[in-house]
Amino acid sequence: MSSDRAEVWQGTLALMILKTLDTMGAQHGYGLARRIEQTSGHSLAVNYGTIYPALLKLEQEGYIASSWGVSENNRRAKFYTLTGAGRKQLAREAREWERTAGIIARFFSPKASS
Amino acid sequence: MRTLRSWVLRLAGLFSPGRREDEIRQELESHLQLHIDDNVRAGMSPAEARREALLRLGGIESVKETQRDRSGVPLLQHLARDVRYAFRVLRRNPTFTAITVVTLALGIGANTSIFTLVNAVLLRPLPYSDPARLVMIWGTDPRTGGREMSVSYPDFEAWRDGTHSFEHVAAFTSRSVTLGGAELAELVPAVQTTSGFFRVLGMNALAGRLFADSDETSEAQPVAVLSDAAWKRQFGGRGDIIGTTITINQRPHVVIGIVPSEFHFIPTEVEQVYTLLPRETNREHGYLRVIARRRPNATMAAAQAELDVIATRTAAAFPRTHAGTGIALVSLEAAVGAPVRDGLLILLALVGAVLLIGCTNVANLLLARNASRQHELGLRISLGAGRARILQQLLTESLLLALAGGAAGLVMAPILTDALLAMLGSGVPLPRIEGVNIDRTVVLFTFGVSLAAGLVFGVVPAAVAAPSALQASARDASRTIAGTRAGQRTRATLVVVETAIALVLLAAGAMLTRSFLELRATAPGFVTGDVLAVGLRLPVSLAPGAQRETFFEELRRRIETLPGVRSAGFISSLPMAGGRDTLQFRLKDQPGAKPLSANFNIASPGYFKTLEIPIIAGREFSNADGASTNPVIVVNETAARRFWPGRAALGMEIAVSESTSTLKVIGVTGDVRQSDLGTAARPEIFLCALQPGPGWSTFALVVKARGEPMSLLPDVRASLRAVQRDVAISRVGTMEDVVAGRLAQPRAYTILLGAFAALALILAAVGLYGVISYSVTQRTREMGIRLALGSSPAALVRSILKTGTALTAAGIVIGLAGAYAVTQSIAKLLPGARGGDPLTLAGVAVLMLSVGSLASYLPARRAARVDPLAALRVE
Repeated sequence: MSSDRAEVWQGTLALMILKTLDTMGAQHGYGLARRIEQTSGHSLAVNYGTIYPALLKLEQEGYIASSWGVSENNRRAKFYTLTGAGRKQLAREAREWERTAGIIARFFSPKASS
Repeated sequence: MRTLRSWVLRLAGLFSPGRREDEIRQELESHLQLHIDDNVRAGMSPAEARREALLRLGGIESVKETQRDRSGVPLLQHLARDVRYAFRVLRRNPTFTAITVVTLALGIGANTSIFTLVNAVLLRPLPYSDPARLVMIWGTDPRTGGREMSVSYPDFEAWRDGTHSFEHVAAFTSRSVTLGGAELAELVPAVQTTSGFFRVLGMNALAGRLFADSDETSEAQPVAVLSDAAWKRQFGGRGDIIGTTITINQRPHVVIGIVPSEFHFIPTEVEQVYTLLPRETNREHGYLRVIARRRPNATMAAAQAELDVIATRTAAAFPRTHAGTGIALVSLEAAVGAPVRDGLLILLALVGAVLLIGCTNVANLLLARNASRQHELGLRISLGAGRARILQQLLTESLLLALAGGAAGLVMAPILTDALLAMLGSGVPLPRIEGVNIDRTVVLFTFGVSLAAGLVFGVVPAAVAAPSALQASARDASRTIAGTRAGQRTRATLVVVETAIALVLLAAGAMLTRSFLELRATAPGFVTGDVLAVGLRLPVSLAPGAQRETFFEELRRRIETLPGVRSAGFISSLPMAGGRDTLQFRLKDQPGAKPLSANFNIASPGYFKTLEIPIIAGREFSNADGASTNPVIVVNETAARRFWPGRAALGMEIAVSESTSTLKVIGVTGDVRQSDLGTAARPEIFLCALQPGPGWSTFALVVKARGEPMSLLPDVRASLRAVQRDVAISRVGTMEDVVAGRLAQPRAYTILLGAFAALALILAAVGLYGVISYSVTQRTREMGIRLALGSSPAALVRSILKTGTALTAAGIVIGLAGAYAVTQSIAKLLPGARGGDPLTLAGVAVLMLSVGSLASYLPARRAARVDPLAALRVE
């Protein structure tokens, strides 16, 4: 993966992580990877490993927090939760995303402009 | 904000690598476990479940690596590792490391040393308050090329009173004074100023007060300010000195204050006594330097415009003396450094060139060493190190070497600086020399130069080594020729570059040496051997009229009767002692013409004989020329030719200034180099010391001895005491010392540049030797084959010599162009030096070529002695 695409992927992935944590609550890395894979309809067939740098970055930026806990199958796992700053960031990013998506959509839909 | 937070966390992460590593490992293990559980639940076998989970995670080690980089600062971590590794590598090669560090230490130390001077003399602000606003104001005369001319008291008053751009304007001049009474008279450096002098500089008194305008009025008591040094030395630091009366030039002065001695104004001299200038109305007597402090809101341009108006007005009002003259403004900071700026900057550039050659040699060493590390570098690449990582590693080693060299250079610099100052001595008057020391600016400079040097010698070898290591790894790191070809080509280029730089330095050194030798061989126009010169300052009581003439006659009579004395005489401006007096005069047969100007000197009978200055026509002064006889003069050849072209000067008459009596030429003498050996003689007119004339009070007594001149000194002193007690003696020395003093500056530049050039030549030769030698070693096998196939050893030597000579020749051709330009700009440093002289350039080119051939002959001879069998067995 070229570094440009990696950047984009990291950005997109971060937004997906924040959104997933927002809807599902506390979750571990494996669960998040699984969930994102399902939600995206298996169209993002990437290595699960790529989620961990994204999680570390978000944690360093203070958008998510982590703590060790126990999974429903009684396995020890590191659980991530959204922080207040993370919720704000998600709202901001979502707005930004919708705006961008709207602009792009208008460009590609022939009838939209007049 | 967020970025800052994450960087803080990452930097903090550097300090607990173990915990972080653990956390990553545990999280990935838990991830795998959860995935395996899911896979087993979906019906896979445990082994299959594990395999699939690992596959989907995407290489556990690479994930760990990414996490590690993200949670710390990889560049810093790599740097720390590289530095540790570089230390190990350098310690393992002590010879290489020592050679490199010593080369760099010498180069960087020399640069630091020269920069220490540049910093003290040119860069550091002057020790006055707000020095940027201080300016010097000079008279100019575009017709005669006069750029920094002293001006008269009325000129100074016009500038002071006619301008608004300045807060304060003051005039000053420096003349030694006799301090103390008859018995203890001592000649000390002194400054005569107008009352605003200390206000211009913004100085405060250590004790007492400084000059006030009321001290300048004619009815006021004469006052003096002492320097701290004078107060301590002459008056033992007495606490009650303020208010006491001391004798300066035989007149009582009241001491009103003391100024710190680090505030001093004449370069190289700590002035001891400050007195006030008497007001004068003569517009023809230019002897003052003017200094001023600009108002904060007045620009240089505005001040200059104001002065231009005054210049135009003055020229119109006094056309006889001021027609065509102008006024020039220059900042004090520029004025102080100006006399030595060019010299210092050229030295700095040249010593930089020496370092550049040193760097080229180190680069060559590194190239050779990196080539022998191909295997190691190849291995590291095979193990996954990127090209950038290899580059970073090699550069770290270079920078480490450079910093070690820089640190050693910084330690060496004070020693080199002391040696430099000792060599420059008093011959090169460096202003502000007392401030020469290593300060923060110098340390920063050294650090910067070290880093730059590290990059200069590190980048090329690293760039060559990294990709060739890549090739080497691809070819199983065997000793391939392709792997070293890039290196060989780079080494050759480096040798050409350093030969070119060395040639420039060599040409500069040769040019200076040549002009110095020429200068030393220049006949000064007088005979220096066995002549004692003693500086005298006559008291006011010995005014011209009767007393002065009697004094000269009586003292000369006494000295000439001393055993061991051939002859003696007096002169007002001793040749090459730095003094000069200029007067205006008219030719008697052209009374209406514009006044002419010449150097004027007062000489006594016996002067020309003592210095063996040839009399070309007429006669020299005799005791018969006196107050009662017609006033007579002697002129030098240049004056005779200039003022009476095509005619005999003998018998011609001139009139000085407004005086009515005329002076008759009774003799023409040979030319004497009056200011220095490199400057041609100017028109010179000698007045007779036994006749009435200007009231100058500084003279030199010259005595021709029958043996060692200095041994006459006690007798000469005794004779002086016997004739007149209150004459102060200043400089004492032989005439040879006086001339040598004038050669000190060219000698210093010559020695310095000669040393640079020698160093450059040696370094370039070593560089070439290294390259040829290395290529011979690399090609041992090829040599063996060629010898085995019947090539003669002589042919082999010739072919290697040809390579070496071609490299040297290429360097010489490039260097010659540079040498031509550089020698021309250096020639400005020295009177009489010529730049771009073809003979000198040809000479250094031949020298360089010979040294280059020798440097390649030695390894070539070694190659020819290779035993073919042994060579073939090497592989």
